[in-house]
Parts: sequence; C-alpha cells; structure tokens
Amino acid sequence: MRRFSVVIASLLSVVLAATGPALAQSKEPVKIGLSAAVSGGSAASGEAIKRGLQIAIDEINAKGGVLGGRKLELVVRDDEGNPQKGVTIARELVEREKVVAVFGGLHTTVALAQVPVWHELRTPYMGAWAAGTNITRNGQAPNYVFRVSANDDYVDRFLSRYAMETMKKSKPGLLLENTPWGQSNETGLTKWFGEKGIKAVGVERFNWGDPDMSPQLLRLRNAGADHIVLVANAPEGAQVLRSKAKLGWDTAMISHWGISGGRFAELTGDLSEGVTFLQTYTFFGKQNERGQYVLKMLREKHGIKEPGDVIAPVGTANAYDGLHLVALAIEQAGATDGPKVRDALEGLKSEYKGLIKSYKRPFTAEQHDALTDEDYVMVVWKGGKIVPVTMK
Amino acid sequence: MYVQLLVTGLALGSMYGLVALGYHITWATSRTMNFSQGHAVMAGAVVAYAGFVALGWPFPLALLIALVALAGYGALVERVAVRPFFLRASPAWLLATIAVGIIAENVAQLTFGKDARAFPSPLMQKPIMVGSVGFYPQELLVPVVGLALMGLVQLFYHRTSYGKQLKAVAWNPEAAGLMGINVPRAVMAAYALSALLAGIAGVLLAPLLNVAPQMGTIIGLKAFAVAIIGGLTSAPGIILAGLGYGLVESFVAGYVSTRAREIVGFGLVIAVLIARPWGLLGEKPSRRV
Repeated sequence: MRRFSVVIASLLSVVLAATGPALAQSKEPVKIGLSAAVSGGSAASGEAIKRGLQIAIDEINAKGGVLGGRKLELVVRDDEGNPQKGVTIARELVEREKVVAVFGGLHTTVALAQVPVWHELRTPYMGAWAAGTNITRNGQAPNYVFRVSANDDYVDRFLSRYAMETMKKSKPGLLLENTPWGQSNETGLTKWFGEKGIKAVGVERFNWGDPDMSPQLLRLRNAGADHIVLVANAPEGAQVLRSKAKLGWDTAMISHWGISGGRFAELTGDLSEGVTFLQTYTFFGKQNERGQYVLKMLREKHGIKEPGDVIAPVGTANAYDGLHLVALAIEQAGATDGPKVRDALEGLKSEYKGLIKSYKRPFTAEQHDALTDEDYVMVVWKGGKIVPVTMK
Repeated sequence: MYVQLLVTGLALGSMYGLVALGYHITWATSRTMNFSQGHAVMAGAVVAYAGFVALGWPFPLALLIALVALAGYGALVERVAVRPFFLRASPAWLLATIAVGIIAENVAQLTFGKDARAFPSPLMQKPIMVGSVGFYPQELLVPVVGLALMGLVQLFYHRTSYGKQLKAVAWNPEAAGLMGINVPRAVMAAYALSALLAGIAGVLLAPLLNVAPQMGTIIGLKAFAVAIIGGLTSAPGIILAGLGYGLVESFVAGYVSTRAREIVGFGLVIAVLIARPWGLLGEKPSRRV
C-alpha cells in the first residue's frame, strides 16, 4: 500500500511537470511594480532599471515562472522624481494593480516619501538606485524596505577608506552640492574620516547650475587639501573639473557615483582622465556567467555593442539582482502576500549566485542593504572609458 | 589668490553684463522687457547646438541660423506676450514673458532632452596660464564681445535715426505714433534685437556653461539684478554693474563663503534700489508736474 502511494505520487508529479507550462498559461501572473523616473533628466536611470528587471523576469519566466508556473509581469509607473507622485503611484500599484513588490528608482526624496506607504500597505519595496541612508534605516518595524544598491553611509566609509588606505592621503577637501544629498554625505564623510582622527581641511559647497567653481577650489587648495572628495551630479562635476584645470591644480579626486549619470565623459573630454568614482557594478573587465548573460540580452534587445554603451549600468545590475532575490523570496514564502514575502526576504534560505556577487542571507532583521562597501568597486576614467581599479 | 578671483569675477561679470544688455534694449524702447531673457540665451545655445553639433553644419552657418531664429523668437515674444498689454499700459507683459520662457524651457526639454551637453570650442581646449593664474580663452572672448556689443548698442540709440525713433517710443508712444513712427513695429524690432543679442550670448556661453534647457535661468536672473543695479536706461552702466557683480560674487565666495554669495549679491540689489532706484548710471526719470 505504501509503495503503491509512492508510485502514484511520482506518477502524479511527472504528469504535473509535463502539464506545468500549459497550466501556467491559465494561472494568474505575479505582478511586480516599478516606481521610477522614466522621463525627464533622470530618464536613463529609470530605463536602466527597467532593462535589468525585464531581463531577469524573462529569464525566470522562461524557466517556468514562480509558485509552480505563474509568470512574472512588470508594471511600470513614472514618478518623475516627484515625491507626491511617488506616493500616489505606490498606492495605485498596490491597490489597483495588486503588485506583490515594488522596485524604486534614483530619487532619494521619492523613496523616503514612499516608506510609510509600504509599511501601511504591507508591501515589500526593493530599492535599485537611491542611496539615501535613511531609506532602509527608516525606523519602521517591521521594515518593508529593502535595497540592492549603494547606501550613502557605506559609500562615505568606502570613499574615506580609499583615500586614507589606498591613496595614503590625510587632508581631504570636501566639495559637495548644496542639497540634502550633499548634506547627508558631509555627515557620513565627517564621521568616517573622523573615526581615523582625520578632519577635512575644508568643506565647500556649490549650487546647481553654478558656472565657475574656482573660488571653492581655491579655498580648498589654500587650506592645504591633498585630495578632493566630490559629491556632485554630472553637469556640476564637469564644471568642477574645468575650474580645476584652469587653476592648474593637479590633485587627486575621488567621487560619489553622481557623476556617472548624465554625460560626464562628453562634458569633460580629456579632463575626466584619472577621476576615480564608485559603482556597485561595472560591465567592463572579466564578467561572471550572469554578467555575460545580461550583456548578451542587452545586446540582443537594446543594441548595446560594448560595455561602454550600457546606459546607467548600476541601475540594470542592481535591478537584475534585486528581482532574482524577490523571486526567490516569493518562492520561499509560497505565497504572494506582502508580510510573507517580506519575512522570506529577511530570511532567504537559498544562496543566489548573482551578477554583483553571491548573496548568502543578504537581508536580516537589522540589515536591509544587500550590498555594503565590501561589494562596491572603484572605477576610473581612462581614455574616455571606465576601467575598474583594484583596491590595495 | 586674489588675482585668480579677480579674473574669475571679471569673466563671470562679463557674462552677466552681456545678457543684461538685452533688458536694456527693450526697456529703452518700450519700458517693458522680456523677463525670460535667460531663456532666450538658452534658446540661442540650443539652436546653435542643433545646427553645429547635431546636424554637423559649419559653425558660421549654425551661428547664422541661430541668430535668425532668435530674432524671430524675439518678434514672437513681443507679438504674443507684450503687444496685447503694452498698448493698454497693462503690466501683464511681466507675467506673459515669464510664461513664454517657461514654455521655451519645456519645449527644449522635450526636443533637446534634459541632460547637459557639451558645446565644443577650440577656445576651451586648454587654459592659458599666466604665472599661477589661469583662464580659458573663451572667457576672454565674452568681455570682448560684450564691450563691442555695448558700443554698437550705444551708437545705434544715440547716433542713428532709427535708434532715436525707438527711444522716442519709450518717452511717449502716442506722440511718437503721431510723428509717423510705427510704434508696434518699433517695439517688435527692439524685441528682435534683444533676442538676437541673447542668441549671441547663448552661443558664446554654451562652451563655458554646457547646453541645457535650464542653463539660462540663473544667469538670466542675475543679469536682471545687474540691469537694475547698472540702470536699465544705460548700456555702459549695465556692463559696469555686470563686472562689479561678478567681482563681488567671486570675492565673497573666495574669502567669505559660497553660501554668503547670493545673500550679499541680492542684498546689494536692494541697497541700490533704495539709494538710486534708477540705477548707478541710469537716467533719473524727470517728474511730470
């Protein structure tokens, strides 16, 4: 009798496996939301995230989807980088579209505005770009906000360590944009340099659209800075380099990743040579299996010829890994309800060999950032191309 | 350090002066102005970029097209945003010209995109170093062109018959009309000229500031402050005020703090407005009794 039931069970499973794809078509899809700026100045970031998500979704669907044959489906909404719009979209995605989880875009302001909404609607959120420290460290319990991207606090530790240990510099001059983002990095950099007893010799700020940064640079030079730590987006970063060349000040410069959006190389030409900045991932250099696969998909679907053509690469890489982690969590939860998926994310059992790294228990109750400064890479502009720098 | 700040300030100041001349031209004719002069600067840069970089035309052709387009833009601004209100002596042109500027910026965002783009110039390749002081040749070109244009504008208004006609319109539009001056056409000509000047400024500043839909907003605002300080009726006053404003910005940023820059700059505007409401070199309006 016992043997008989085993035979029946195995027969059944064979039948199920064979009819799986057919059943999948009749099953309701599992929807994943994206709230990001896909128009306007940061459109490239939203597009990059979308690409990463879609490549991962197609990959999972080709293997039969999740929860025994349900396909994943992406629902994209444009938040235009506007926090109010972000809140409206968050509700719409959950209440109308019934998404299981939502991915987020470049803007820290939007992500912060949405935090209470995820908590209220009990829907997991996966940040794929915005680096604001408080997005994941938000004081909510249980915390529905996760991230596969940089975190300003880790970025500042990473940059300060690079300056002190790799470059052997001890007199940082901080050059920051006059915004909350610049402010949060001033806090972080002061903290992490301070930990090693180093104080910035100068902290200078600039406004968006400032045409000339010479006065700020002169002040840093006169204060005796032996390197510059830059927190800027591409247009202002370009003006900094121009003013720096004008002053003939040949000092090392390391930068947060803001300058990698936009058209920094085009704006600066030869001046970008040697500027070192941080990424969570680079498609340059030797690629692991997933890297080769993602590049192949980008080539086939988006006409990317070489790694240098990949727009906003960190968006694609972060989103790709984030989506796989969410899919694993749904599978582990065996359900699509928010609280169950959230719990599964916090206690992921299976290891995911991803694009950026191999994720082993990426999230815990205390740690909602899958990536830390150990996973970041330093890259440098060389001959108009981004080349990885090896630490130490 | 102060020599570099001096050079930086003069370079910045000549940008402000150059853009501010545009306010003077229309004010001298109609006692109105295009509040979105900065957006006209942007439009000049964007059109020149489209011709020179995107379509690969030779630079002189791209420049010519940009200037013609801008003269047309100026005429259009006058027609839709100034004329309906000017004749009724209504100050609504103020808001209407701001509206046109915002529309221009959004059109640029839709067609050009929001990213800043580089405008290549051989004068930006390498800075010139004199001792420890550096500047780009392009920065030298701005005051040269600014002074030349100021001279031309002065000649036009004081030495040519048509220039004098335009000025007469400002004094008394009705009387000027009775004397056979085509008032609407005169005002339109002034707006076309002013926008043309903005076009030149746009092409000149594009390599320094990069081309972007929002590139003219802050420059336009500061140029307005400069025009008020120098005196809307005086071209030399505006150029001088521009240089002075640039120097104040540069030295405040260099010796005090970047954060104090705007506070001091615009504080100065208020001080001048209180002490000399007609500007440093402007004509004191004669009072009708």
